[in-house]
Amino acid sequence: MSRKNLIGLIVPAALILITALAACSKPQEAPPPWKVVDASTLRAMMASDKELPVFNTMSELECLDHRIPGTKCLSCEEVENSPNTVLPPDKDRVIVFYCESAGCYRSCRAADAAVKAGYRQVHVLEGGMPAWKQAGYSMETIERVPRGSIQSLRAQALKQMLAERKDLLLVDVRSEKSYKEGHIEGALNIPLYRFSSGYAVIPLDRTVVLVDDRGFRTFLAGSYLEMKGYRVMRLFGGMEAWQEMQAKKQ
Amino acid sequence: MEGLKGMNIATGRHCSHLFSGALVLLALFAVICLPVPAPAAQDCRFCHDEPLYRVDFNKSIHAGNGCTSCHVGITDVEKHRDGKEKPAPVDCGSCHQEIAKEYRNNFHYIQEDFQCSDCHRNIHAIRQDKDRNVKLAIIEKCTECHGNADYTTSGHGEAVLKGNQDAAACSDCHGLHNTRVFHTSLEQYPAEARDFYTQKCKRCHADSAMMTRNNLSDKMVAYYEGTYHGKVQELGYPAPVAGCGDCHTKHNILPKEDPRSSIHPDNLEANCGRCHAGFHARFLSYQAHPDYTDRDKYPALYITFLFMGALLIGTLAFFWVHTILWWRKVYWEQDRMEREGVVPPSVHATGEGLQQVERFSVKYRIMHVLLVLSFFTLVLTGFPLKYAGTEWAATLTRLWGGAHMAGLFHRGAAFLLIVGMTYVSIESLRFLFPKGEGRKGWLGRLLGPDSLFPNLKDLQDFKGMLRWFFNKGEPPKFDRWTYWEKFDFLAVFWGMFAIGGSGILLWKPEWSSYLVPGWVMNIAALVHSEEALLAALFIFTIHFFNTHFIPNKFPMDRLIFTGTYRLEELKEQRPLEYERLMAEGRLESMKRGHPSIPLKLISATFGLGSLLLGLFLTVTILWSVLFG
Repeated sequence: MSRKNLIGLIVPAALILITALAACSKPQEAPPPWKVVDASTLRAMMASDKELPVFNTMSELECLDHRIPGTKCLSCEEVENSPNTVLPPDKDRVIVFYCESAGCYRSCRAADAAVKAGYRQVHVLEGGMPAWKQAGYSMETIERVPRGSIQSLRAQALKQMLAERKDLLLVDVRSEKSYKEGHIEGALNIPLYRFSSGYAVIPLDRTVVLVDDRGFRTFLAGSYLEMKGYRVMRLFGGMEAWQEMQAKKQ
Repeated sequence: MEGLKGMNIATGRHCSHLFSGALVLLALFAVICLPVPAPAAQDCRFCHDEPLYRVDFNKSIHAGNGCTSCHVGITDVEKHRDGKEKPAPVDCGSCHQEIAKEYRNNFHYIQEDFQCSDCHRNIHAIRQDKDRNVKLAIIEKCTECHGNADYTTSGHGEAVLKGNQDAAACSDCHGLHNTRVFHTSLEQYPAEARDFYTQKCKRCHADSAMMTRNNLSDKMVAYYEGTYHGKVQELGYPAPVAGCGDCHTKHNILPKEDPRSSIHPDNLEANCGRCHAGFHARFLSYQAHPDYTDRDKYPALYITFLFMGALLIGTLAFFWVHTILWWRKVYWEQDRMEREGVVPPSVHATGEGLQQVERFSVKYRIMHVLLVLSFFTLVLTGFPLKYAGTEWAATLTRLWGGAHMAGLFHRGAAFLLIVGMTYVSIESLRFLFPKGEGRKGWLGRLLGPDSLFPNLKDLQDFKGMLRWFFNKGEPPKFDRWTYWEKFDFLAVFWGMFAIGGSGILLWKPEWSSYLVPGWVMNIAALVHSEEALLAALFIFTIHFFNTHFIPNKFPMDRLIFTGTYRLEELKEQRPLEYERLMAEGRLESMKRGHPSIPLKLISATFGLGSLLLGLFLTVTILWSVLFG
């Protein structure tokens, strides 16, 4: 009888414990094939190795506007296209990539390409430039783009405006690959990584609407164009917002 | 630039052949030892001679500062003139330290690398103007880039444009120099953004003075905080529940009478539909800011509020008085026996009196353990929500792994309880209508001594107990179930209808809307919450006391876990049952062996643990009720 009693007490308790443990454990993701460094570690690394190759993976336009002092501009498209030409020849050399946003999307793409090309000491700055800035470290400006007043348009408003106005010219600043995968009809593709050399084809008598992936990168490009004498607007939320609007309609 | 010739501006020295050698030496000393003076404003204006620097700057708020207060790093004007020496970037933070500190986390700096002058473009002509409409200026500045269509059609925007200084301008919600990184198109931090903006709304809308002078209710925040949305939000672990902006949208904030408003009746389906799916149209009558005390606006809610309040206070008051009187009697009685050296027969039982007899079979003991476990899980996951604003609630929720996990455990425990309750209902029906007998004699069984249903004897026993409490007679002789045990059992039954029923409705409110309208959810939430408080306080104070803390059983009666007690205890506590068992010759079949040591140990640990946890929760709950 007593054994039966014991079972009666232990079984429910064990069941609850197992449920709790099962609920708490999470599946683990595979670690990336590169190392992650935080802002203070990177700063220390740069202080001890003055020649340390640290790459800003944004476009040249963005990189020259503001970057971590002592780092080089190398867009992730350039790394992806020809890693062996643009990266240091020594594949055991420590190299670091960073980008504009905390999500480190572009630095991860560059790091991935470098690892695939055989580089063995690839690092990515954790949290990107935001982490560097939030740590209170200074930035460096080579050629600053004066910030303009660039109005952003919601996807719905842009759609309506495209139907009503003929002077609008959509300029898609995403990579060639993303552009090929899908773009707004009539959009011209001038990827950001070669924007300063490519913008001149835009006729001055058109009102430019800049489109990017998520709406983060058109402000600076817009300010650049405004500086060059263009009338510019940008798509709020980028292609993501546009596609979301299209999906909702369907 | 001819005029600059012969003037060494970098050192500020004026050399002259008239000075003596000693003075030259002194001047040299000054060059070597004293700090290098910066060029004066007039030196700068020699080249930078636009009216902005010559006229406007002198009238600006920064006029007292020289050019080099901000443009540092020029040591030699000639080098600067020749383009060989450039000033360092302006660091406004060297004076505006607090703002600079805030600005380090500003979205515009983090994401777009905005510098001060990107917004403060007219920095050289900026003036202090007390009559300036700052809110309007902020709106004008922000909308230079940010599309203003949403905001200017909102109630806030319209009010600011009309000159209302209470209405929110951009910076009141988004901050000015501390604009957070909650990018709406990315929605990278939806939970943080929801919490952040909800706090911003609350800050003004809970401000009585501000709301009164704008002819708005200052209670809307409190009403919202009383709902499921508000409580989960307040727990600080915003599982996906509606913050202010989820229903009122981000900018298009208008009164519900306005057809453009998200809360206009015509737009409610789409509005609620952003989070809830698959509901009936009557779901929309749910009140997101209900006022229980408003008799005219919410009569059903008001009546429920009164009823639940009366039930709570009435039940607790009645049993607390009963318990206090009982405790008094037993304590005084024990004192008397102690003085007289009288020991109850059950304590020094010998021989036959030591024989263990069964009161609860294994099945019922397991059910009680399951009931205890599910009840504690429900209390520990539900009460943090009820008292969402308290520290302990946040800590407890964190221990569960967040509000979402706590909710899952709550539903799991509720399911266990519902299954148990169904089983008890089936058992009760079997008891009333046993196989072979059918309906025959069911009333006799219902009101008989083995039934948990109250009968006339319970009323007599209650009166007898009252007389005994006041030293007016002997305690009544009980049969198998006392009236307070029957109440405990039936209270769980009622509680299951009240809490269980409301809980099931709230479990999936979208489906419930096919049964009942949305406003019933408001009632269900109130009933669920108040009944839970009643149940918890009843179990932790009254049931615990009646069964365990009464002085002759203190600190606990392990009977419900071991299932057996001494024959002498049966005789003493339930004499009528003993007599019945003897008369019916059933006693022999009730005899059991002594409980084993492991069972006693586990019973004591589990039982005492539960009692202590219950007491701790009582203190916590009462503290929150009184001071929360």
